[in-house]
Amino acid sequence: MEAMLEIADVVTAYGKIEALKGVSLSAAKGRITCLLGPNGAGKTTLMMSIAGALKPRQGSIRLEGSELVGLSPARIVGNGVALVPENRLVFPQMSVRENLLAGAYQRNDSGEVTADIERMYARFPRLKERREQLAGTLSGGEQQMLAVARALMSRPRLLLMDEPSLGLAPIVVKEIFGIIAELNREGVTIFLVEQNAHLALQVAHHFYLMEQGRVTFSGNPGELAEDEVIKRAYLGTRRSAG
Amino acid sequence: MSYLDVIDTLQSVADGVLFGATYSLLGIGFTLVFGVMHKINLSYAAASIGAAYASLIVLSVVKAPAIFIFLLAGLAGGIIGFMIYVVCFRFIPQANPLATLMSTVGALLLIDEIIVHATVGIPVPYPALFSDVIVNAGPFTLRGDLMFMFALGCLSMLLLLVLLYRTKLGIATRAVAQQPVAAQLCGISIPRINGLTFVITGVVGGIAGAMIGAAIGVLSPLLSLPLTTKGLIVTVIGGLGSIPGAIIAGLLVGGFENLFQYFRGVTERDLYVMLLLFGFLVFRPGGIFSPAAGRD
Repeated sequence: MEAMLEIADVVTAYGKIEALKGVSLSAAKGRITCLLGPNGAGKTTLMMSIAGALKPRQGSIRLEGSELVGLSPARIVGNGVALVPENRLVFPQMSVRENLLAGAYQRNDSGEVTADIERMYARFPRLKERREQLAGTLSGGEQQMLAVARALMSRPRLLLMDEPSLGLAPIVVKEIFGIIAELNREGVTIFLVEQNAHLALQVAHHFYLMEQGRVTFSGNPGELAEDEVIKRAYLGTRRSAG
Repeated sequence: MSYLDVIDTLQSVADGVLFGATYSLLGIGFTLVFGVMHKINLSYAAASIGAAYASLIVLSVVKAPAIFIFLLAGLAGGIIGFMIYVVCFRFIPQANPLATLMSTVGALLLIDEIIVHATVGIPVPYPALFSDVIVNAGPFTLRGDLMFMFALGCLSMLLLLVLLYRTKLGIATRAVAQQPVAAQLCGISIPRINGLTFVITGVVGGIAGAMIGAAIGVLSPLLSLPLTTKGLIVTVIGGLGSIPGAIIAGLLVGGFENLFQYFRGVTERDLYVMLLLFGFLVFRPGGIFSPAAGRD
């Protein structure tokens, strides 16, 4: 299987504390790859490192063979990577439409951008209803949809999603995962970080477990019993030092 | 209070409000940089006066109609603004809030010193436009130069609002102000937007500096400290980060200041402006338009 994203031996540190201690994994083109792990495992740090918002101390991150480490976040977006960040981070004092325009910041084809906004409205009818409303007044689920739509506005080859189910009602989480599967069917490669192991294993083609800055398991759903995955994803296997 | 006293009172308030447009522009400069970077640029008012001086130098070399002085001052303000960004912000650690505060105080003193040395500390006359025009509206007289300033101030603010709310650059600027991490993930370069914010506020400040010079008739290095104070007061009263707040607070402070100058004289004037600030800090510390909190 051809790899869209190849991560090799990435170390990212906050000061002296290494949050990623040499992470290697890959995400296959056209597939959904999922990263599971307990809080503090370094999942978000890995996402921010891929997007360029954090600079890895060593290692390489390649997108279809071309190196991303060292590029600015803006260049990485230009290369076709978009991240739906943890906690959504919509622009609260901007309208839904303006949030989508911000997502298309790097594009200069304004006619196509307008058409893409219409496509987002077709995919997310709730956003269409609220297009002139300030994003800060939307519900959590609507904000998550807006964050996904905003990321899609850059027309990414690789969509990174950091805990899209965080803090959402179960019915909304289901909707979001339906959209993830749908996007994937349309050909978008997805690399997903999740805490909800049950749902993640339903959509993922391949998954990794991460604990304390290291990848500890790699396999296809079904290779490891779900209760074992859940145990390790929520609790970790190693005893923490503190 | 006799009829004439009422007329005079209203007249001084009206003059003050017209002059207040310059305070609005200064307040916008402080508030926009704060909104985007969450940093105070203390050198802003000094740089605005510096830009007005620079426009005089250009005008003494090139013969041009006096109206160009505002354009020149705006241009000079933009260049000085960018220089201040590079020197005082670009390479200074952003995590420490005092670092950029100190570097901009340094820039304020530097600009003041340059002006003092270049002019030997003597105030320089500044051309006023339409100073011979006086419009009689009933019992009131409106000074042509103040009305022109007010119109120019409103035009500058309108253009700035169009830039912020109707262009792609404006969307990027507001995105960085509201959620810098997400802005970065949208492919917006934060250093570039920060630099452009300094250029834009610099242009606004340069125009404000020229308007102040034109209204007072002279430029002096002694202007920069009081204007820094006024600009900060306007920013706080308007609500840190709020542009409509800065506009309204500027006009309010202008009118208020002139009212008390009329009643209590120029020596006590600033005392009452400080009292106004005090009132706001006690009863409405967020300012007129404190930024609304989002849902998350």
